[in-house]
Parts: sequence; C-alpha cells; structure tokens
Amino acid sequence: MIFLAFISRMISRITLMLAGVGLLMMTGIIGWQVFARYVLNASPAWAEQAALVLLIWYVMIAAAVGVREGFHIALELGEDALSERGNRALRISAMLVTLAFGAAMGVWGGELVAKVWSHDIPTLGLSRGFAYLPLPISGWLIVFFACEHLLAESRHTRVEPLWR
Amino acid sequence: MALTVLIVSLFVLMALRAPVAVALGVSSLLTFLVMDVPPVVAFQQMSAGISTFSLMAIPFFIFAGDLMARAGIAERLVRLASACLGNVRGGLGPVNVGATMMFCSISGSAVASVSAMGSTLIPMMRREGYDADYAVNVTTCAAILGVLLPPSHNLILYAAVSGGASVSVSELFLAGIVPGVMTGIILAITAWIVAVRRGYPRGVFPGWKGFGRSAVAAIPGLFTAVIIFGGVLGGVFTPTESSAVAVIYTALIAFVVYRSLGLRDFVKAAQNAVKTTAMIMLIIGTAAAFGWLLALNEAPARLAEGMAWVSDNPIVTLLMINVILLVLGTFMDMAPLVIITTPIFLPIAMNAGMSPVQFGIVMMLNQGIGLVTPPVGTVQFVGCAIAGIKIEDVMKTIWPFYGALVLALMAVTYIPAVTLWLPSVAG
Repeated sequence: MIFLAFISRMISRITLMLAGVGLLMMTGIIGWQVFARYVLNASPAWAEQAALVLLIWYVMIAAAVGVREGFHIALELGEDALSERGNRALRISAMLVTLAFGAAMGVWGGELVAKVWSHDIPTLGLSRGFAYLPLPISGWLIVFFACEHLLAESRHTRVEPLWR
Repeated sequence: MALTVLIVSLFVLMALRAPVAVALGVSSLLTFLVMDVPPVVAFQQMSAGISTFSLMAIPFFIFAGDLMARAGIAERLVRLASACLGNVRGGLGPVNVGATMMFCSISGSAVASVSAMGSTLIPMMRREGYDADYAVNVTTCAAILGVLLPPSHNLILYAAVSGGASVSVSELFLAGIVPGVMTGIILAITAWIVAVRRGYPRGVFPGWKGFGRSAVAAIPGLFTAVIIFGGVLGGVFTPTESSAVAVIYTALIAFVVYRSLGLRDFVKAAQNAVKTTAMIMLIIGTAAAFGWLLALNEAPARLAEGMAWVSDNPIVTLLMINVILLVLGTFMDMAPLVIITTPIFLPIAMNAGMSPVQFGIVMMLNQGIGLVTPPVGTVQFVGCAIAGIKIEDVMKTIWPFYGALVLALMAVTYIPAVTLWLPSVAG
C-alpha cells in the first residue's frame, strides 16, 4: 500500500511537470508557425499536427491523473442531505463507474492503436497509432488511480491531492 | 430504445456523482453496446473531438487568462474603472461590471474572469462596506460576459460544432460585441440600483492625473484585445494562432512591461492551465461521442417533431428552446452542452427563421446564465470560494441580476438586429 501510494504520487508529480512542458511546447510551436509565416515566409507543414499530438498526449494523461487528484467536475447534489455512509457509498459507486470507463478506454483504445499502427500521419512521418496511444495509457492509469481511491476507502482514509 | 439508454444512463450516472466526463463516456459506451456498434468508434470520436485544431485555442486562452490574473492586470483594470465611476454612490457595483467586462474581452473566459476579477474586486468591495453576497453576484454575473464577448472560446467551440451551417469565428466575434456590451450596461444599471437601495458608500475621484495614470497602466493589458480581435478579424491569424500569440504577448508584458510576474507564477499558471484544460478537453471528448450517438439516433429530428407538435409559432419555438437550454444549463457545464445541443437546436432555430450567428449568441447568453446557477454553476462556485461564503447565501439575492440577464436574453432572442447589425455593417 505504501509502495502503491508512492508510485501514485510520483506519477502525479511527473505528469504535472511534463504536461506543463507540453503546453509550453504547444505555445512555442504555434508561435513559431505565425513567426515563420510572416517573417520567414514559409509556413511549417508539421506545426499543426505536432501541436495536436502534443495536446492529446498531455490532455489524456493529465485527465487520468485528474482521477487521482479528484479535479473532474461532478454533480454534488444533496451532499449535505445524505449521511456520511450514504456519501461514502456514492463516492465508491462513482469511483467504480470511473474504473469501468478507464478499463474500457484501456481495452478499446488499445484496439484502436493496433488498428491504425501501420498508417502514418503524413506531415510528421509518425504512426497514426502514436496519436491514439495516450488513450489506452490514460485508461489504465485511470484504473490504477481508481483502485488506489477504492483501497483508501476500504481503509476509511482518503487519497491526498498534490496539485493545487 | 438506444436513445433511452443513452439519456437515462447519463442521468443515473450523474446522480451517482460520476464525473460529468465519465458519465458522458460510459452512457455512450453502453449505447454502443446496445446498438451493437463496435465501441472502438466511441474512442475514435472522442479522440477526434479533442484533436481539433480550432479547439486548441481553449488551452491557450485558459493559459493566457491565468497569466493575466497572476500578472496583476486585473488590478490595473479595476483602478481604471474606479477612476471613471468610483465617486458615485454605490459606484463600485457598476465599476465591477465595467472592469470585469474589460477582463472578459481580453481573456475570453468566464471562469478566468471571475477568478481574476473576483480575487481583486471581492475583497476590495468588502473593505469599502459592500456585502459579500452582492460582491459575488455582481462579479459572477458580469464574468459570464466572457462567453459572449470576443475572444470567447465557447464561441470558437460553437463555430466548430455548428458544422453544416458554416459560421465563421470572426463573424461570431463581431456579433457578440453589441449583445455583450448591452448586457453589461443592463447589469451595471441593475448593480447600481441595488447598491443605492442597500445604501452602499461612494468612493473618491482620484483626479484627472490619477485617471490618466491608471489609463496608461491599463493600456498594455487591454491591448491584448486589439491583438486577438484585430488579428482574427483582419485575417492575420486564425483564432487558435491568436490565442497562442495572446499567451506570448501576456507573458511578455508581464515579464518586461509590468515586471509583475515571477518564474514561479509562470510555472504555476502553466500547471493550472494544464489542470483546467485536461478537465474541459476530456469532457469535450466524451461529449463528442455522446453527440455523435444523438445524431445517429435522429434525436434532433425527433425533438423537432415534438416541438412542432406543441406549437409551430416561431416565437413560442424560440421560447421553448430557451427554456430547455436554461434548464439543461443548470445541470451541465457549458462545453458539453454546446457540443451536444448545438446540432439538435440549431436546425430548429433556423427553421424558425433565426440565423446561425444569432443562435450562437443566444446560446452563449443562455448557457452563461447556467454558469451562475447551481447545481452545476462553475462561475458561481468560483466566486463563492473566493469570498468564502455559502452558495445558498448568494442565491437568495441573485434575483435582480437574473432579471437583468433574462431581459438581455429576450432582447437577443427576439431582436435580430442586436446581434446581426454589427456584422452586417463591418462585414
């Protein structure tokens, strides 16, 4: 359990850092595209696709960590009206639904990657599968983080968020 | 049958407090299974929904908005606005609306506006003797102008999903200005009347010199609006490019001109943008799959039939659309609603004689009202969190502001010229 929590914290911290870098790189790439068009008179063909691939990578991985950090918005109707037991039951049910979503994305997202792996993104010379790869990765990460939350619930503790 | 599974499971999952993005995804997956369509398609739709070049503007505008907030641009706008109107009795109310409107027109986001302006204005108003509930309601209601005024990223989202109607972002940007300013004026008058009735104090005029100084200080920040709006309208760059340029320009003035931003703040802003973006883009992705299923099951046509059965009077039809959207808006966040409901209601509205540009603006203002209404009222929640008061307490006194917003909504819905005049003159 302690090891698991350690891994989870590591993933969360590293993702926060890398995703930030991803956003800055995206800004740089699109900024460069404008600069190149007006100053160098040559619009780089790869820029849009590269920025899009970066976007889906950092969004999907950060969204998975969002399950750990609990930053995804949910309806919070009647939180005060329910007893602590009722609230706990709802927390667990929501986490189970999230886990199922993660597993589905892991399996079918993986299938998607396998299907398109032989196709290339023309302007980048990269496999199209590379653009879908964050889906299964994110899916299995969601499963991992959901399990961490469920384990913590079973011990009547909570997972402490790290992103503030 | 499939449609029933899709909609019922969505509501059940949301009631179980599954995150909105997950609820949209799982209800779509269940429907794929019921319809015997390979679920791989769901993830293909999801990925396509996220990897849209025009939507890349969303992370950039969120990032730019966060940078503006940390760089102290908000305070400079407040100083400028209060130099104009601060010495009127209850003047901080309209000042708040004006300053928040200015921030909206450079950040394009209601949430960024409420967090930036709220953290400056709400403590300031309380120090001057204004009540917390009033301070919150004025700021949050003014902040929803961020979805109307350019460079609203929700308008960019609307342009992306309105598909067949082919609405251009620059046309929408132009169309949003008059309704945005009009709503701002109605809100400012409302805020002023409420302030006077509550007997709030007057401030002091800083003198023309002070006014000049605060204007000069605010100009570099306000120039962002010129860059984005002028750039997009003049065809210098695409909306997405303009948003990346806004990030670079904001970072530049914050580091070089204002010298108000440390490297630490910059990193924090990037990380905060990552978090918000991941949350919104995941919802956009799963909402894309959900919307695809709605279209596949001919939900738009069925709803149109149902509404035609109730009445075929365009005035009633438009009223029904507004009421349905307002109700949905209280339960759902804005981005998924724009994605899901645009393909459904746009054809109906066009049938009732409304242009797609006008419908876009109606939708923005309508769902903007949802942003300040619980159970899912993101902007109102942020405002309350800043002021440290309960949502129940602010909702008791929000009614005059709702009245102002609904009045503006009716004007935008039934007077086409409010939206269409400026694009027709400038276009």
